[in-house]
Amino acid sequence: MRTPHISDSQMELLAARLAAVGVGRRDFLKVAGGLATLGAVGFNARPVSAAPALAPGEKLAREQHVRLGGGGWWQNDPSSHDYNKDLYCSGVPILFAGLMKFNADFQPIPYVASKITSNADGSVWTFALRKDSKWSDGAPCAARDFEWSWKRQMDPASKNPYSSYFYDIKGAEAFNKGKAPDASQVGVVAKDDWTLEVTLEGPRGYFPVLSAYLAAYPAHRASVEKHGDKWTEAANIVCNGPFVLETWEHNKVMVLRKNKHFFGAKDITLEKATIPIVPVQSGALPYENNELDISPLQPGDLRRLRDDPRTKAQVFRYPFPGTWYLIPQVTKPPFDNVKVRRAVGHAIDRENVVKVADGFAIPAHSMIPTGFPGAIDDKKIRDIQRFDPKAAMAMLKGTPYEGGRNWPRITLTMREEGLGSKPLAEAVQAVLLEHLNMKTELEVLEQRVFRAGLWKNDYQFVWIRWFMDYPDPHNEYFDTFYGKKTEGRRQAWVNDAFDKELEAGRDTRDAKKRMVNYAKAEEIMQTDGGYIPVAWVARWCAAKPAVRGLEKNKLGETVVEGNIYVDMLPHVYMIEKA
Amino acid sequence: MIHAETRPRSSSLWRDGVRRLRRNRLAVAGGVVVVLLCLIAIFADFLAPLPYTKTNFSRLNEPPSRAYPLGTDQLGRDLLSRMIYGARVSMLVGLGAQVIVVLIGVPIGALSGYIGGRTDLFLTRFVDVMYAFPRLLFVILVMSMLGAGLTNIFIAIGLTGWVGIARQTRAQVLAIKEKEFVDGARALGAGFGRVLGRHVMPNALTPIIVAVTFGIPEAIFTEAALSFIGVGINPPTPSWGQMVGEGQQYIRSYWHLCVFPSIAIAVTMLSFVFFGDGVRDALDPKLK
Repeated sequence: MRTPHISDSQMELLAARLAAVGVGRRDFLKVAGGLATLGAVGFNARPVSAAPALAPGEKLAREQHVRLGGGGWWQNDPSSHDYNKDLYCSGVPILFAGLMKFNADFQPIPYVASKITSNADGSVWTFALRKDSKWSDGAPCAARDFEWSWKRQMDPASKNPYSSYFYDIKGAEAFNKGKAPDASQVGVVAKDDWTLEVTLEGPRGYFPVLSAYLAAYPAHRASVEKHGDKWTEAANIVCNGPFVLETWEHNKVMVLRKNKHFFGAKDITLEKATIPIVPVQSGALPYENNELDISPLQPGDLRRLRDDPRTKAQVFRYPFPGTWYLIPQVTKPPFDNVKVRRAVGHAIDRENVVKVADGFAIPAHSMIPTGFPGAIDDKKIRDIQRFDPKAAMAMLKGTPYEGGRNWPRITLTMREEGLGSKPLAEAVQAVLLEHLNMKTELEVLEQRVFRAGLWKNDYQFVWIRWFMDYPDPHNEYFDTFYGKKTEGRRQAWVNDAFDKELEAGRDTRDAKKRMVNYAKAEEIMQTDGGYIPVAWVARWCAAKPAVRGLEKNKLGETVVEGNIYVDMLPHVYMIEKA
Repeated sequence: MIHAETRPRSSSLWRDGVRRLRRNRLAVAGGVVVVLLCLIAIFADFLAPLPYTKTNFSRLNEPPSRAYPLGTDQLGRDLLSRMIYGARVSMLVGLGAQVIVVLIGVPIGALSGYIGGRTDLFLTRFVDVMYAFPRLLFVILVMSMLGAGLTNIFIAIGLTGWVGIARQTRAQVLAIKEKEFVDGARALGAGFGRVLGRHVMPNALTPIIVAVTFGIPEAIFTEAALSFIGVGINPPTPSWGQMVGEGQQYIRSYWHLCVFPSIAIAVTMLSFVFFGDGVRDALDPKLK
C-alpha cells in the first residue's frame, strides 16, 4: 500500500479533531504517536497474539482465568460498554474489535481489516475486512456493520458527546450538525460485504490512526434497535471482540468469557476474565488478599509490595510519559528576576526530591522523559539547572535576595491530585528552604479553580505536570510553552528565540534537524529560567507469577491496559502454580 | 449594697465549684492534659528535637526508632517535632476561635435577651437562620472563600460557632433580668450598661464558661477536619488533621504516619470533654 505523506497541517488537524471531541490530551498524543511509524508497519493480517512461551517444567493452568482491576482500574461501574456512542462509558474495551488496533508501541496495526489502502493523496481509504470477522452470535461482522456504526456515531440523534471525532469523513460534519437530511451523503460506504470505502474531506494520512481508536468501534445494529441504551447489558450484548460479557452485576463485578466466534480465538489462551469494581481507596489490598491477579499500584502500596520478598518479583514499572515541573511566573516578584529563576533551578535537589514519591517519580533534567522521541541526553543541557546549592546562592548575588534574605511572601500553587503530587511539592518546598532559605506556602486548589487561575497566569509559583499526549517534541514544547498561543498558556514567560526554534521544528520534516531545533529550544528555555524541570512520572503495576504473556514495548518495558493500548487480555495466559 | 451582698455568695459558688471539680478524677486528669498541651504549644520551640521543616531524604517514612521516637514522615521530617508544633496550631485554633465566638456570641445574646422586643425578635431570627446551616459545610464554604491559613480558620470557625453561645446567653439573661436584685439595681439608678455588665452578666457566666469549654475541642476538631480534607493549614506548617490526612493513604505501608496524630487528636478531644464535663457538673447549682 501507499502511505500518504502526513503533512504538519494534517497533524494539526488531527490534534484539533481529537481536542474538539475532548479526547484527553494524553490519549491524543499516544494515538498520534502511532503516526510516526505508520509507514514502517506491514499492513497485513497477523496472529492476534503469539503462542504461550512456556519454560521447561511449566505448564498452562487448567483454568485459564485472570482477575484484574483495583488501583484505579474500573473504580466505578461503567455506564455502558457502548464506545460507539460514548467514549467515556468506562466500559471494557476488549469486548470489541476495531478495523485497526494499537500495539504495545502505540502503533496502529490491522485488526478486523486485513488490508488498508488509499488513493494517491490519502483522501480515500479502503479497508478490506477479514472474511472470518464475526459477531459473538456467529453472524458475520461485515463492512456494512462498520458503515452503520460509524454513521450512528455521527448521527445527531445519538447525541454522541464526541461526534466530531469523524468530521474528517466527507459529509460527516454536515450530517452531525443537522445540515444534511440523512446519512446518505456521508463518505462511508460498504462497497460489498467485506470492503469499506471511506471518502474524506481531503488528504488525511492519519486516518488509520483514527480507525484504531476506541471511538471507531462498531455496535451491533440488531441489539441496539431491540434494546436501546440497554444493549450492552450482559443479557443483551452482542459484540465482536476477543471476549464476551458473561455477567455484569452492577457496581460489583463483570465476568468476561472468550468469544468463540472471534476470528483470532484460536490464538487466545485465556478463557475467562473477572473484573471486580473496586474503589481506588482499597489500594492493593484485594491484590494482596489474592482476589486479583493484575492490579495497578498506588503510591501508598508500592514500597510495601516491593519490599516484601513474596511480592517483590511481581511488581513492575510501566511506561507513562509525564513531567513534573515548576513555573516561576516571570511577571511576579521575585521570579521577575532571571537570576532568581536560575537559582531555584540549581537549588532543586532532584535526587532527593523524587525519593518522597516512593518510586512514582525519577529525576528530570528536561521536558521529555528518557526513552521517548526527542529526549535530550546532553551534558550541556543537563548542567544548566543541575543541583548545586553553591551555584544557587551565587546566582542570588547582586539581587535583592542575596544570601537568601528579603524574600517576599511566596505561594506555591498546585492542583488537587493523587499519585504522590503533594509530597513532591512539599519536598520542593523543603529543598528551597534548605538551599535558598526561601519560605513558600503550598496552596492546593480544586481542579477547575486551579485551571482558571493558571490560564490567567495568576499564580506566582506553580507546581504542575504535563502528561505527554503524543510522543513528539511538538507536543512537549509547542503545545505547552509556545509564546504566541492565545489560549491555554500556562505561563507568562515568552521568548522569541525559543518560539523560532519551535516554529522551525514544526515546519521541518527532517527528523534530525527537528531534534536539533528542540534541543536548542530546551536550552534557551532553561537558560532563561522559563521552567524548572523536577521529575518524570513513573507508574507501577503488580501481576501474580502465574500471569504470563504481558507484552513489552521496544524499550523492553511491560505494557498494561490503558486507553490506547487495550490489547492486554488476548496476550495473557496463566500457568500452573508451582 | 446589693453589690456587696452578691460578691461573697458568688465567690463561694466558685470555691464550691473548684472543690467539686477537684473531686472529679476524670476532670482533673483532663485538666492536667489540657495544661500540658498548652505548655507544649507555648514551648514548642524548646521542646521539639528538630525544626518541623527539617528534612532527611535518606530516612523517609521510618517507623519509630531511638533517633526518631515517633518515626519520620514522607519527607523524612521528625514526626514528634511536627506533632509538637501541631499542638500549637490546635491550641491556637481552639482558643483563638473561642475568643471570636465569645466576642460575637455573648454581646448578641445579651443584647437580644436584655433589650427584648423587636431587637430580640430580629436577633433571634438571625441566630435561627445561622443555626440552620450545617456547621462543617458552612465552615468549608467560608474557608474556600477566604483561602487556607490559620487566621482564616479562626474567622471561619468564629463566624459559624457563635450561635450556640448567643442562644445560651440570651436564655440566661432573660431569666436573670427578671430577678429582684436586678430591679433593685435599676431602682438605685444604675444605667443600661451597668445593670447588664455588673449585675446580669456575672450571674449568667456559668453556662457560658461551660459552652466555651466544650467549644474548644469542637474548634480543634473542625480544624483537624478542614486540614484533613486539605482546606485548613497550608504546608509546611504542621497540623494534626493535615498529618492524618496525608498519612491515611499510606496507612497500610506506614502506619505511624496517621496513627500518632490520630491519637493526639483523640486524647486532646477526650481531655477537653472530660474537663468540660467536670466544669459543668461543678458549676451546676442544681447539684449543690
